[in-house]
Formats: sequence, C-alpha cells, structure tokens
Amino acid sequence: MTRRLPRSLQGRLVLLVLSAVLGVWLAAAALTWRDVNHELEELLDGHLAQAAALLVVQQAQELQDDDQTIDAPPLHHYAPRVAFQVFHEGQLVLRSANAPEAPMSSPGKSGRFATVNIDGNDWRVFATYGAERDVQVYVGEHMRSRMSILWAVLRSTMWPMALALPLLALAVWWSVFRGVSPLRRLGRTLASRRPDALDAVKVDAAPSEMQPVMDALNVLFGRIGVLLESERRFTADAAHELRTPIAAIRAQAQVALGETDDLMRRLALQNTLQGCDRAAHLVEQLLTLSRMEADAAPSMTELDLAALAKRTAASVAPAALARNQTLELHAPDPVRVRGNEALLTVLVRNLVDNAVRYSPPSARIRVALSVEGGSAILDVEDSGPGMSDGDIKRLGDRFFRALGSDESGSGLGWSIIRRIAAVHGFELQVARSSALGGLLVRVASPQS
Amino acid sequence: MRILLAEDDLLLGDGLKAGLQQFGFQVDWVRDGEAAERELRGQPYAAAVLDLGLPRKDGLDTLAAVRRARVTTPVLVLTARDAIPDRIRGLDTGADDYVIKPVDLHELAARLRALVRRAHGQPQEILSVQDVVLDPASRVVRKAGLPVALSTREFDLLHALLLNAGHVLTREQLEQHIYSWGQEVESNAVEVHVHNLRRKLGSGLIQTVRGVGYILLREATQ
Repeated sequence: MTRRLPRSLQGRLVLLVLSAVLGVWLAAAALTWRDVNHELEELLDGHLAQAAALLVVQQAQELQDDDQTIDAPPLHHYAPRVAFQVFHEGQLVLRSANAPEAPMSSPGKSGRFATVNIDGNDWRVFATYGAERDVQVYVGEHMRSRMSILWAVLRSTMWPMALALPLLALAVWWSVFRGVSPLRRLGRTLASRRPDALDAVKVDAAPSEMQPVMDALNVLFGRIGVLLESERRFTADAAHELRTPIAAIRAQAQVALGETDDLMRRLALQNTLQGCDRAAHLVEQLLTLSRMEADAAPSMTELDLAALAKRTAASVAPAALARNQTLELHAPDPVRVRGNEALLTVLVRNLVDNAVRYSPPSARIRVALSVEGGSAILDVEDSGPGMSDGDIKRLGDRFFRALGSDESGSGLGWSIIRRIAAVHGFELQVARSSALGGLLVRVASPQS
Repeated sequence: MRILLAEDDLLLGDGLKAGLQQFGFQVDWVRDGEAAERELRGQPYAAAVLDLGLPRKDGLDTLAAVRRARVTTPVLVLTARDAIPDRIRGLDTGADDYVIKPVDLHELAARLRALVRRAHGQPQEILSVQDVVLDPASRVVRKAGLPVALSTREFDLLHALLLNAGHVLTREQLEQHIYSWGQEVESNAVEVHVHNLRRKLGSGLIQTVRGVGYILLREATQ
C-alpha cells in the first residue's frame, strides 16, 4: 500500500486528501440514494394506493351494470407511465390506454404491492378489491419513472460535488504546496550550502514538525565540524612537527659541510643521522595514529596481556641495556583481556619505550601485571625524574613534550597511548611511582 | 657578534649553534622562554634567534614581554608556524624577521647580519671608518686596501666598535660582545685586544676614554 504511494510528499498528501474526499462523497451518495429511494417508495406507493381507492369507490357507484370495457383517454404525456385496470366480477370494465387486458398482477390478497414484468417493463402494481370482492382494481406505475426520479434527485445533489472535485483537487494541491514549502526551503538551503559549511542550518518559520530533523542535522554538522577541526589541526601540527627535525637535519648537515675539524665533522654527521632516525620515528608514529583514526573499531580477541607484555619488554630490553638500565617484568599469571593484539603491543611498547627514553642511565624500570577486582592492571613505572603535576595534565596534548628531557621525542607517543586505551575502554592513570620514585603509568581494563 | 639562540629542540639547537659559530657568531643557547626573556633583558645581544614553540613561556609571549621591557635587540623568529596570520602576529609582536624552518645556515647568518646592521643604522653590509674596511660576511678586514689578519676576538671587537662608531663602549659591554657563556674572560682581555688592533691598524683609530671605555671616531683626530 505504502509502496504504491508517490515518492513526493506533495503527491502523497494530495492523493490521500482527495481519496478521503472521494470516499466521503461516495458514502454521502449512497446514503442519499437509500434515503430518497425509501421516501420515494412510500410517497408513490401511497399515491398508487390512493388512486386505487378512488377507482374502487367510483366503480361501486357508477359502473354497476356496465359490461363493456372503457378505455380511459390519456390526458397527459406522463400518463403512459401510469396504468390502471378495473375488473367487475372478473370482467375488465375500465382500463387506461396503456394497460393490458389481463390483470397486471396475480390476484391475491387485497391491498398488496407487487413488482411485475409486463412486456419487458417493470411495473409497480397495487391491487385492491371492493368491499364485496366483486370489483378488482389494479393500479400500476412504470418502475423506470421511479428510477428516473431517484436519479434526478441524486444528480441534483451529486453534480455540484462532482464539478467541485477538480476545483477541490486544485485547492488541495495548492494548500499542500504551500504547506510543504518549509521542507523545500530546507532542501534549497542545504543544496546551496558550500560543502565545507558546517554552521547550523536555519530555515525561516520552520514548522515544529521539522525541528527534530533540523536539530539532528545541526548536531551532525557540529560533530563533523569537531572531527574536521581535529583532523585539520592534526595535519597542521604534524606538518609543523616534521619541520623541526628536518631543520635539525639540515643545520647539522651544513655544520658538517662547513666544519674543518675532522672530529667535529663526524660529530655533526652523527647528529644528522640521529635527526633522520628521529624524523623516521615521527613519521612512523604519525602513520600509526592516522591508521588508528581510520579504523575506529579494530577487531578484538581474547588474549593474554602478560604474554604480550613479556614479548614487548623483550623487544625493548636491548635499548634499556644499552643505557645500563634495569628492566624487570612481574607477570606471574596470565592476564586475560579482550583487545586488539597489534594495538596493545603498540601501547605497551610505547609505555616501556617512554620509560626507557625518559629515565636516566642505570635507572630501574618495572612492568607489572595483575588482576584487581576483575580488572586487568598494567603498571609501568620507573625511577626517572617523573613529571610535574602541570606536565602530567598536559600529557597527551599532541606533540607536548616535558621540559628538560634530553631525549628527542615527538610527543606523539602519548597521543597514541591515549587513543589505544580509549579504543579498548581502558582507563589511563599517571602518577608518581611510590616504589621507584619516577613516573607510574597504570592501564586498567574495564571490570569483567 | 654575540647572539642569543632560544630553541628547545636539542638536535636543531646544537646544529644552529655550531653552524652560526662557523660564521663567526658567539652563540648563547637557551631552551625555554623564561630563560630567553631573562637573558635578553640582562645582556646586550647583537641579535636573537627565537623559536615560537618554547616550553615554560611561548616564544610570542617572551617576545612581547621583552619588547614591553624596552629591549630593542633585533629578534629573528625561527618557527614551523608558517600561516600568514602567524607571521603577521609575530612581526607585530616585535619580531624584526620571520623565518620558517627549515632554514639554510648561510641565509640565517646573512639575515642576522642584516638585522644587526639595520639596528645600528648602517645601510650597508660593509663597514668602514677612515681607511679601515670590515666585511662581516667574509670576515675580512682591510686597511688601505690591504688585508689585515685578525684573530676572532680582535675581529669581533673591531666589528662592535665599528657598528657603534661615534659611541663609547665600556669594557664590560665589549666583553659581552665578544665572549659567549662559559668562555673564560681574562681580566685585561679587552685591553690586550685593543692594543693588538692599534698595532695592526694604526693608533689613530681607537680612542680611549679614560675610566669609561673605548670609542671609534668616524674622522681621524689631529
């Protein structure tokens, strides 16, 4: 049903309203038909009965002994539509010109109406008898004349309505056209917007039914705006962040070119290489972040965080050893969590890597896994300098780097850590390590 | 010429310092905005190279604070922020030049020399008084058309005196011009360098203002 309706709201409304009007109109016609039919029957049957009664009375007084048949002359051009017969003791004594010789209706009880077919025409016949039952009177009326009256009445009431219907259709069409104009305005407003316009949509005199749609649209535009803004800022920040390592590479290379002392030149060249490594690392991190932002819902499996931490710690261990640092892992039992293995590996590696990078040589770094109240806990703590409260607050701002660290990080590691934790619904806490005195980062899974 | 470098990135700071030193600058390097402001307010640097993304105090805030304190040291902003509004804001805040990273060291040195020259009202790169000519870019000094071999310190001292020709410079000011941090300053270093300059360039060039300092006169005294 709904599928057959036109696609345009305007067409739908016009069709529905017109169908309803047509339905009501037809119902009214049917009711009128029934009513008029009933009233007409009563009225005309009454006339038939009265005419029959007159004939009976007249016959009783005047035609006592006449045995001949008198054909009454037709007096009006309507006369052929009515017919009568008067029988006296079985003999036809009087009839109208259009009446047959045989009784129009079968003899029966007096005062009966019957619809009979005479020579292919339907007649409404009233039969009655005189008081002594020797006079029989039949009065008949052409059924077609009744029908034409009925049709005439119906026509007179229905014609104006039928004429009005096209006008009504036009009026309905126009009203609906006016009624849905705010929708068209909204459509035009949306169509004429610049593709990058994200301000709220406004339509003058918008009806209250449209408000939810517009509200939803504006909320959507707002969300897209925030998303685009963060995207734009990220791209800009990323480009800027690449400038500094490149500037460093360039400066160091130029120093190497201009240096006459061999030792100093080699130092500058080493610095150049270090700058290249740093730029590569930054690009790697940017790619990780952008990949993560593209894939908002990575696939999750049940995995053992303890085993994952062990593998990751092993991969970072050489860097710690090179700095003469102690890297210890406390993971006596498997710790089951639900997560994406690749992402969690990046998370753990970033955490441990940060601890190694930002702690001085011969520092202690401790990675511990435990389960507390159904929640998996990963602690990474170190005996490094830790961070001030203000720095802890700014931690996770993209590209923020704590002051005084000689390590050349990009500040993107934290953005990555935070993002991975958010994807997994993990809670991230940064505090001072009470055991080692440096920084403690705690990752806690939701309680299962 | 002694300049202040404010850059928080270790590798870049190191490269800029070493590179500018190759061009004969004495470079003091600070790594945050507060230190930059403190140094600029406390020392008469010939110029400063200022990064904008500095920790503790943003580069622009530092610049604004320094200008409010009426420090006129020429400041070259060296930054990754390349948007036009950023440049405009930088220059309006008091920067004398705005350079986007990465920068060529030759260009950076030339820009710094130009800033210093303009700050001293010198229209030309090459400075000259009487028959002495000094080219800061090639670090060559000629007297009567003949090259004169000068040590780094002697060159810097002469450069400072030439830039401030007609003005008295105190011994402390001259020391600050030719020595960066961590360099041992002997008590009579300035006197020794002036003595050597007089020996190489003639005694009529640098005048001693007793108890005050030294002055280089534009015209030879009788």
